Amino acid sequence: MDAKPPAAISGTGAPLTEAQTGLWYTQRIDPANPILNTGQYLDIAGPLDVRAFRTAVDATVEEAEALSLRFEDRPDGPVQVVDPARRPFLEVVDVSGADDPAAEALALIGADTNTPLDLARDRIASFRLYRLSDERHFFYERIHHLAIDGFGMVLVTNRVAERYSCLMKGTEPAARFPPLQVALDDDRAYAGSEKREADRAFWHEAMAGLEPVSGMAPGRAISGPSFHRTSFYLPQGFMERLQVFASEAKVTWPDALTALVAAYCRRFAGTEEIVVGVPYMGRLGNSAARVPCMLMNVLPLRIAPDEAQAMGDFLVGVSKQMMRARRHGRYRSEQLRRDLGLVGGQRRLYGPLINMQPFDLPPAMPGLDVRLNILGAGAVDDITFTFRGDAVSALLMEVDSNPALYSAEATRAHSRRLAAFLEKAMEAATLADVPTACEADVQRYLLEANRTGHEVPDMTLAALIEAKMRATPDAPALVFGDTVLSYAELDRRTAALAGELVKLGAGRDRIVAVALPRSLELVVALIATLRAGAAWLPLDLDNPPQRLARIVASAEPVCVLAEPGNEAFSGAHVLAPTEWPTEPGVALPQVQPGDMAYVIYTSGSTGEPKGVVIEHRAIVNRLEWMRIHYGFSADDRFLQKTPATFDVSVWEFFLPFLCGARLVVAPPGAHRDPAAIAALVRRHDITTLHFVPSMLSAFLASPASQGLRVARTFCSGEELTADHRDRFHQRITGELHNLYGPTEAAVDVSYWPAGPDDTSSPVPIGFPVWNTRLYVLDERLRPLPPGVAGHLYLAGVQLARCYLGRPDLTAERFVADPFRPDERMYMTGDLARLREDGAVVYLGRCDHQVKIRGLRIELGEIEAAIAGSGLVNDAAVIVREDRPGDKRIVAYVVPGEGYEAERLRRHMAARLADYMVPSAIVEMEAMPVNANGKLDRKALPAPSFEGMAARAPATPTEAALCQLVGDVLGLDALPDPDADFFNLGGDSLLAVHLLLRVQERFGFDPGLGVLFEHPTIATLAAAIDADRVHDSGLEPIIRLRGGDEGRPPLFIVHPAGGLSWGYRTLARSLGAGRAVYGLQSPAIDPDHPLPDSLDALAADYAKRIAEIYPQGPYHLAGWSVGGIIAHAMAVHLQARGKKVGVVAMLDSYPAECWRAEPEPDEAAALRALLAIAGYDPNAHPQLTTRGAIIAFLRAGDSPLGNLPRTALDGVVRVVLDTNRLVRTHYHGRYEGTVMHVRAGLDHRERPDLVPELWLAHAAMLDRIEVPFLHPQLTAPATSALIAPELDRRLAEYD
Amino acid sequence: MAITLERMRADIAGMIHEDPKEIGLEDNLMDLGIDSMRLLNLILKWQEDGLDLEFAELADRFTLAGWWEAIQAKQAGSGA
Repeated sequence: MDAKPPAAISGTGAPLTEAQTGLWYTQRIDPANPILNTGQYLDIAGPLDVRAFRTAVDATVEEAEALSLRFEDRPDGPVQVVDPARRPFLEVVDVSGADDPAAEALALIGADTNTPLDLARDRIASFRLYRLSDERHFFYERIHHLAIDGFGMVLVTNRVAERYSCLMKGTEPAARFPPLQVALDDDRAYAGSEKREADRAFWHEAMAGLEPVSGMAPGRAISGPSFHRTSFYLPQGFMERLQVFASEAKVTWPDALTALVAAYCRRFAGTEEIVVGVPYMGRLGNSAARVPCMLMNVLPLRIAPDEAQAMGDFLVGVSKQMMRARRHGRYRSEQLRRDLGLVGGQRRLYGPLINMQPFDLPPAMPGLDVRLNILGAGAVDDITFTFRGDAVSALLMEVDSNPALYSAEATRAHSRRLAAFLEKAMEAATLADVPTACEADVQRYLLEANRTGHEVPDMTLAALIEAKMRATPDAPALVFGDTVLSYAELDRRTAALAGELVKLGAGRDRIVAVALPRSLELVVALIATLRAGAAWLPLDLDNPPQRLARIVASAEPVCVLAEPGNEAFSGAHVLAPTEWPTEPGVALPQVQPGDMAYVIYTSGSTGEPKGVVIEHRAIVNRLEWMRIHYGFSADDRFLQKTPATFDVSVWEFFLPFLCGARLVVAPPGAHRDPAAIAALVRRHDITTLHFVPSMLSAFLASPASQGLRVARTFCSGEELTADHRDRFHQRITGELHNLYGPTEAAVDVSYWPAGPDDTSSPVPIGFPVWNTRLYVLDERLRPLPPGVAGHLYLAGVQLARCYLGRPDLTAERFVADPFRPDERMYMTGDLARLREDGAVVYLGRCDHQVKIRGLRIELGEIEAAIAGSGLVNDAAVIVREDRPGDKRIVAYVVPGEGYEAERLRRHMAARLADYMVPSAIVEMEAMPVNANGKLDRKALPAPSFEGMAARAPATPTEAALCQLVGDVLGLDALPDPDADFFNLGGDSLLAVHLLLRVQERFGFDPGLGVLFEHPTIATLAAAIDADRVHDSGLEPIIRLRGGDEGRPPLFIVHPAGGLSWGYRTLARSLGAGRAVYGLQSPAIDPDHPLPDSLDALAADYAKRIAEIYPQGPYHLAGWSVGGIIAHAMAVHLQARGKKVGVVAMLDSYPAECWRAEPEPDEAAALRALLAIAGYDPNAHPQLTTRGAIIAFLRAGDSPLGNLPRTALDGVVRVVLDTNRLVRTHYHGRYEGTVMHVRAGLDHRERPDLVPELWLAHAAMLDRIEVPFLHPQLTAPATSALIAPELDRRLAEYD
Repeated sequence: MAITLERMRADIAGMIHEDPKEIGLEDNLMDLGIDSMRLLNLILKWQEDGLDLEFAELADRFTLAGWWEAIQAKQAGSGA
């Protein structure tokens, strides 16, 4: 017989241990998340004695008390009770009859692992033996993390094996497990001990000066319901090499491996230091060492390797650090996180987890071959690297990652790359010698992505233009105002001027300076220069005369084509347009592809301007690529509005003439005037134009751009943001393309189609153009894998020849290409990162790298958040250092409609990591721009930081919430609305108290997750207000969940009762970023009767959702009757040419199934109310009258119980009326797929209710089944199964 | 072959590159640098000598005296 468990944990129950408390809150924040189900199975081959095995398991279950724990949520905190009635005795499941018994068993195991537990109701553990055949069994163990840790699981499993072995051999098992109370007592003893104080002091010192912690990928690290996993055995001999490597440094191999993995992770984090989490079993020296329970802790390890240090020294340093950490390893990391104020928002204590399991062995059982398979070991917030050794030679590497942060492909790539990194590190003298990229990365990203070889005619630009002039002499070539020049006239005038230039000495590698405003003459001058065999050099007349004079002096042009009288050109020969001949004279020279075509001076961020020399071959490659790639033809009309001194103008000037198309030259100054640009586009039917993104932003903000049609718009010159792209497609019909390139590589070297379907953020600069290579390299010029920021280098045919007269600068920036002998590459000075698809993302200038407190700040992300508020017309974010060492992020905004600084601040705080929220917002009338139309950062004014102290509450909700927070935290003064609940001293338990008070005050509970997401008072108030907009919850449309504007929302139609509150769990279980709306019956309002047909109702609903999301596609879903209405809506929308996305039905069956059923009476309708409120009507047979049911609902905690009487009456009426409409409904046909979720355990009495019935009313059926009853379909456990299926289908439309 | 206290002391010392004299009976072995990996290595070593010990049996009393007690109990129990 069992000894009676000590009183504390039987009977009234005991409080949770420190180790359990953190997990309890994790589960409580996200109750539908099954990730804390830890599980494994033994694959047992051989003749298992099932009876003996059952005896062994059941005896183990009785002895390991943690397995029968029950958890209760009490007002003063959760408690746990050992409940012998809940012992998870062995269940035997025979799957031998299945086609593939192993697959069947694994499917059942998977479904069980993925089902979230209701901690109050469900057993905490489950043990199942799947019989595949007489000779093969799977023993599946699943235990919630609250009750067990990894070592506890080993104890339990080994005990089962030991007991089985004893039964087979007839011997007695060794001593029993100590009672669970030992662990609780030990926990309590530690809680008040000096040891804990010392541990706490150690950790506070160890973590002093911690910068915000980041992981290997950007984003919020909160575990979802599932994770990606890649696992494989490291190659033969790896373990041996690792042991030699570690012993040379006199450290253990797990410590050595941990150090190397951390070094790998740090490179991806891009910070100097990374904090990794190292699971610590917490058993050594603990009297509870042998108790199966949850003791495991995670130790944060700060690793900031000096990569130039000798490898052995690095390993010893980390090993010593780990040794010290272990001595203080009992201090809970959750507690430390609270101590350090790292709760909520994106704050955290550590990034990746590194888990060493050196002796991961299956238990031995006589006569059986046993293999161990670990399914899940708890939450995967970020990424977890686990190494499982078999104590001899094999080492399994498992990489588990959070799908919100890492794709499956990225996870696989990390595991491959890390394996290579480890091999190389074991051979290397220092970490710095170890490349980050592996062979596969080099192959994919350096070689394949740059395989851009393409045949281009080896001709000059002059020859290509001349060929077109002869081919289409009568076609219009050039338009300026009311003047039109044909190709023949252009030929004549440019040949005439070219002849004159030749006379003046123009020719090969000579320069003609051009200093003319935008005009016909400007275009004639450029072409004439080329035909004379010379290179043009554009000069900006707005430049100071001294600067112009300096350039002219250094370039030594044969002449300057300019209006007379400009003193800057006094030292040169000036040829004014009035002196230009109009008839050709002398013969023109032959020009070679290797000759200079143009010279453009770039200002450079510092120092003297430098002239970039581009040859014909380079620019011809660029223009021919563009012509073919985008399919330009003679019908195109280009707008020339870019100043000639900006190299983007080169394609504007010449591409039209390679296509036989028309060039429309904008008047001088028009490029800064949105209305003038829009008028030109409309007047001349422009098909192609270019914007610098900041000018595009201004253009989009102007009313003149609304509804414009332009076939292709190109952006380059600065960063195109996702917001620019999205606003573009809202206003303008046409393609948008993002191009990138420095003047030093013939205008552009990369391209990215930023179409309306593109959701990239940031928008990449994309892929290399023809005969061009993009390299992202580290400091040692080694290629980098995707995800790591590095230096962008360019190579290929488009590189400039040199800087004019500056061989020193040329040698510095154009260096040998390490990947191609005898070729050069250009160092752009830009930072970039590769995406997994090989597209390059621009991150900013190396010399302007923005870092605050060691963290890389993505200014573009802040700008996107500001723009996404819809409150401003334009925004720019910069980092200022107005006082040395005091870096601050400042946002400059041009206020738009509805702008208030406070609203914008709340919007940003809700979306950005706290360290990225600007410390000041400066309002501007317009953004300052320079001569090229680019944002002039130097002209942005310094902000005043006064008045940044505590502010008064801005809304009644903020005021009330400040009061509540003050009360709950016992503050002396009311807190600042911008203060963070957790920084003010709040912790998880106090958070629960706060939410209880919020519930009292505001009538609903926004949920613990919301508080963690919005930890400042102001953002929580905003979240409460956002939810409360729909005050009574009875409106025809309620928002169940917010999402990104770009993603089509899901509309879920109410079931018979007319309310869609029941979908809240399903809505929250769906992947982040998608808005979910619930449609509710308008007839709950007694003054609003239902229409007389279901089709009319569906038409009304279709209208309502179109108001919310006019563009479509429409995703529809509904449970029960809701599915029928959703189908009718889909038919209605489709008939009107609207795009319908997913149509999902939760156990709905067509109207013809119900016509013969008796109409429900009031009693049945009332009982339906119970189901809507979340009760099982069959469990309450005594409730038959209206009065009894309403009293029951009022007494319970269902929100329905709090409805006004008229609304309850409305619900009853809607149940009756909706059922009537269903019976008289005849379905139209939906030409699409119906997704059907069948309640697999239901409909025993109506086997005719099958999803296939819908094939009479829909083109296709996509069916899934869940093991639940019809009334359970919106419950948390069911939602957890349905949500991923829905997510997957919805994502196909994103 | 039975294991002696001095043999244990020497093995522990070897594991952490210390002189056996430095290992006191009541010293917390974790403070001396014995982590789970090193403990497992010791157990493996002693298993080769025929002493069937499990990790959990040595984990709770983390001193040389504690281990010696556990091992003596084990050796008595198995009739060795």
